[in-house]
Amino acid sequence: MRLSTLPSSFARWGLAGLALGTLALLSGCDYNWWRMDGHQSTIKVAGPVARSQLEVFYVTCWVTLVIFILVGGVLAYATWKFRARTAAEEKAVPPEQGHGNPLIEVGLIGASVLALVIIAIPTLKGIFYTYDVPEDRKADLYEITATGYQWWFKFEYPSEQIAGAGALTTGNELVIPANRPVRINVRGADVIHSFWVPKLAGKVDMIPNRANFLWLEADQPGYYWGQCAEYCGDSHAVMRFRVVALGPKDFNDWLSQQTAPARNVAAPKLADSNAPKAQFAALRTFKQNETGISDKFDVAPLDAWKAKQFPEKGENPALIAQGKALFSTKACVSCHEVRGHGAVGISGPNLTHIGARSTLAAGVIENNPEQLQRWIHNPGAVKPGNKMAKGYVDNNIKLTAEDEVALVAYLQSLK
Amino acid sequence: MDAILKSDLHVKDGAAPAKSSVFWRPTAQTGLVSWLTTVDHKKIGFLYGIFALFFFLVGGVEALLIRLQLMFPNGTVLTAQQYNTMFTMHGTTMIFLAVMPLSAAFFNFMMPLQIGARDVAFPRLNAFSLWTFVAGAIIINLGWFMHDGAPDGGWVGYAPLTSKTFAPDHSIDMWVMGLQLLGVASIAASLNFIVTIINLRAPGMTMMRLPVFTWMTLITAFLIVLSFPFITIALVELMMDRLFGTNFFEVSNGGMPILWQHLFWVFGHPEVYILILPAMGIVSEILPTFSRKPLFGYPIVVFSGASIGFLGFSVWSHHMFTTGMGTMATAAFSLATMAIAVPTGVKIFNWIGTLWGGHISMRTPMMFALGFVWMFMIGGFSGVMHAAAPADAQQQDSYFVIAHFHYVLIGGSIFALLAGIHYWFPLMFGRKVSEFWGKLSFWVIFVGFNVTFFPMHFLGLNGMPRRTYTYDANLGWNTANFVATIGALILGVGIFIYFAVMAYTYFKGEKVGKDVWDARTLEWSLPNPPPEYNYRVIPTVHARDAFWYIKQNQAQIAKEEAEHAKAEADHGGIHMPFQSIYPFVASLGLLIAAIGIAVIDHDPSPGFWGKKIGTAMMGGAVMLIGIYFWALEGNEGYHLHLGEEGHDSSDKHAARH
Repeated sequence: MRLSTLPSSFARWGLAGLALGTLALLSGCDYNWWRMDGHQSTIKVAGPVARSQLEVFYVTCWVTLVIFILVGGVLAYATWKFRARTAAEEKAVPPEQGHGNPLIEVGLIGASVLALVIIAIPTLKGIFYTYDVPEDRKADLYEITATGYQWWFKFEYPSEQIAGAGALTTGNELVIPANRPVRINVRGADVIHSFWVPKLAGKVDMIPNRANFLWLEADQPGYYWGQCAEYCGDSHAVMRFRVVALGPKDFNDWLSQQTAPARNVAAPKLADSNAPKAQFAALRTFKQNETGISDKFDVAPLDAWKAKQFPEKGENPALIAQGKALFSTKACVSCHEVRGHGAVGISGPNLTHIGARSTLAAGVIENNPEQLQRWIHNPGAVKPGNKMAKGYVDNNIKLTAEDEVALVAYLQSLK
Repeated sequence: MDAILKSDLHVKDGAAPAKSSVFWRPTAQTGLVSWLTTVDHKKIGFLYGIFALFFFLVGGVEALLIRLQLMFPNGTVLTAQQYNTMFTMHGTTMIFLAVMPLSAAFFNFMMPLQIGARDVAFPRLNAFSLWTFVAGAIIINLGWFMHDGAPDGGWVGYAPLTSKTFAPDHSIDMWVMGLQLLGVASIAASLNFIVTIINLRAPGMTMMRLPVFTWMTLITAFLIVLSFPFITIALVELMMDRLFGTNFFEVSNGGMPILWQHLFWVFGHPEVYILILPAMGIVSEILPTFSRKPLFGYPIVVFSGASIGFLGFSVWSHHMFTTGMGTMATAAFSLATMAIAVPTGVKIFNWIGTLWGGHISMRTPMMFALGFVWMFMIGGFSGVMHAAAPADAQQQDSYFVIAHFHYVLIGGSIFALLAGIHYWFPLMFGRKVSEFWGKLSFWVIFVGFNVTFFPMHFLGLNGMPRRTYTYDANLGWNTANFVATIGALILGVGIFIYFAVMAYTYFKGEKVGKDVWDARTLEWSLPNPPPEYNYRVIPTVHARDAFWYIKQNQAQIAKEEAEHAKAEADHGGIHMPFQSIYPFVASLGLLIAAIGIAVIDHDPSPGFWGKKIGTAMMGGAVMLIGIYFWALEGNEGYHLHLGEEGHDSSDKHAARH
């Protein structure tokens, strides 16, 4: 083989390898790369807004694919047909020095405009449809306010007013009624964040001093993954959340549970020597960025979420009481609210019913005792730069393993 | 480059002028001083290229670190903050310190040659642009060597994340001041190019005979002059907020974060065309040369370039479809953005028309240029997908966008710039890169690039947001990320081969004679490397592909040249500008001032004249001294008288007067 032909044979092998590799990957090495059916897929959508956006995407896809095949075909043909095959051909008399053809130009410009009109019409329709809840659905509208903080989401339900406490407030898990249009008023508290639940709707930015909103609707009850989509500082990547869509009865049950004050677990009498002793399992060490979500949320996430709504088995009232006391002595109360338990801080997420949420630290880790202790033990390792880690340092807060376990027991009891 | 380095053929016209004895006019032709004081557009272009390639390498290393971090879920190569710094600096570096200056290198080196000029209109201003660019690059990168670290606010620097409240250290100050200096450099350079193209064209070089690359230089220069003031304003406002507690973006005082986005993107979108139009210009030179046929539809290609430039100012808010602009604004910007696809498509049609019926020589520059057309087409199509605002609501800030703009910036700009380096290398240095290694590097780069960025379309559609340092394994992003990282490593190998071969060729490559590609534009009529004065006789242009015409009509041209040579000799010979150190001094002043403003802590104890303000003032003083001396030393030069035999290709034949 001549040396000078090596690059082109390399190219041929490279392209063949590329094609084979692509084929191998598409045929199922990864269960959902090609199918794009991950938890945050914009293709496997679950609501009318995301569906409308997807339809526009498909139009652009098909139109550009057709153009690509046509133009690319002509380009490939021209490159092949008119190439100089030998050195002699390269040195041959130059071809006719033509300067262009206005008729072809005008024709192609016309064709391009036409192709764009095909895209423009559904685009315009989509812009108006996805902007706000359609008039005929407004009677059914449910409104929620979502506020982005570094690095978590606050959700307020203006229609659920609680005497003396204002609107119902939760954090990082947005529970909505399924089959109803929901308008979400998005706000930014510090820097710009963006509210994005890919399966339900495209994103809208949460900009400080700006009243944005979006609407979405879940076709059926389900558990949806969301994530902040605007770079917002150190922990942007781990600023996530969930949307839980519930049927009418479940939603009402959830509302009445949430509007109630925090759950009390009757404390045992101080002298009760029969009270079970606290178990201090040593906290295992976690690797940097280690996943904290188990696969039960991949298999049957809504069931896993529902299971969290009920009190844990084997609660330890003594430990819970101890944790409740620590919650104020260790200054947790200055940032977090636990309605009915005297904790009224507002700079962190509302924890009144934290035990009933499926995730912690803004959707990053699963809400179970081990992960909760991981979070309390070293918040900065789960979410670099976050305020809770800073709060520990500023207030010189030290937690023993026993303190951590007690706090975990208390927080888990807040159903 | 030897001739540029060592050219010793200049001769002063009699005694040096009286003024030069007051103001030192350096004459060094070699060594550091010659480079610091040069006003030769070719040397300045060469320096732009060297700095740009250095930062291209730096940005590439940053990119590889990003890809290594994301190779597997829950990666631990970098911490969150390091990762955020890496993508901020990767974007800033590649756009402002690699692609723009590499384009500027070609503007500097080629544009005056293409229009038959001896230098740019303001040679010393050109030197000032170069050194101010270097000063800006230093300020932006200073953080790597400091406790505060390099900037980590994203290349778009969205307020209020970049405000004092959320970014209290100096890294953002350095980013702001660095970009300000780059803006000064870019605007000064662009004004220079505009004046040069309008005023210094050779006789007969009408606007509609300009080579397309020069046309794109002109349009790009106008885009820079018109768009950079917007980011200058935005950066001044941010700096005021950070230094003096004003309220432009300070939310707690009623500031408007959205204002930053509008100002930034009114600059930022034309910036995209600032990056791609020069690339289109290069490709529009290469395709005709290697098809041995004029560019198909030259007036339409030029006109569509200008249309892209105009429309580029009317679409900035398509970067803001998710900021809640309302239906009307969204619809208007959506349609305006789609409209840009028409002139862009027209360019592609005309490039194909250029190939049609030609004799295509498949040389390395042509491979890169064709690679450009294919990749740019793909990037253009995903661009149309973004233009459809509802679809963009899902794609915005996802990996789909990453895929899109790397197809237009690597597959587009970088491929064309790599093509340009290959294409003009023989002219610049008199040596030719081996076809074997050139083609090998092309294929490795081409495969690596596609393996890296094509999977990112799927990642984006599967919901992966950009600027995220980690992701969990259960989201279906693992394979695509792994493949992308492998691709990035292949791409890195390809780029390494490319530049290793370039470096080898510079020193040891095959020597070639004039016009190695049988090219069409005027710069190829020069011997290689071109002499300091470029054209021994200013050419007269008779046709659009001027050099092609010269080659076809040698008798007529020789007669004309002889007449012109005589006329020029009667006017005192070839006029050359003196070298000057003052542009460098002025840039140095800017660097010192920027360090004062951005880097040094404010220490209020010694009163107003603290270290910070003192340094800034001192820098300002140095700059003023530089500019005053620059003005006072005057724009004198000297005359060259070349002997009769000097029309040979080598400058050694030039006789001393």
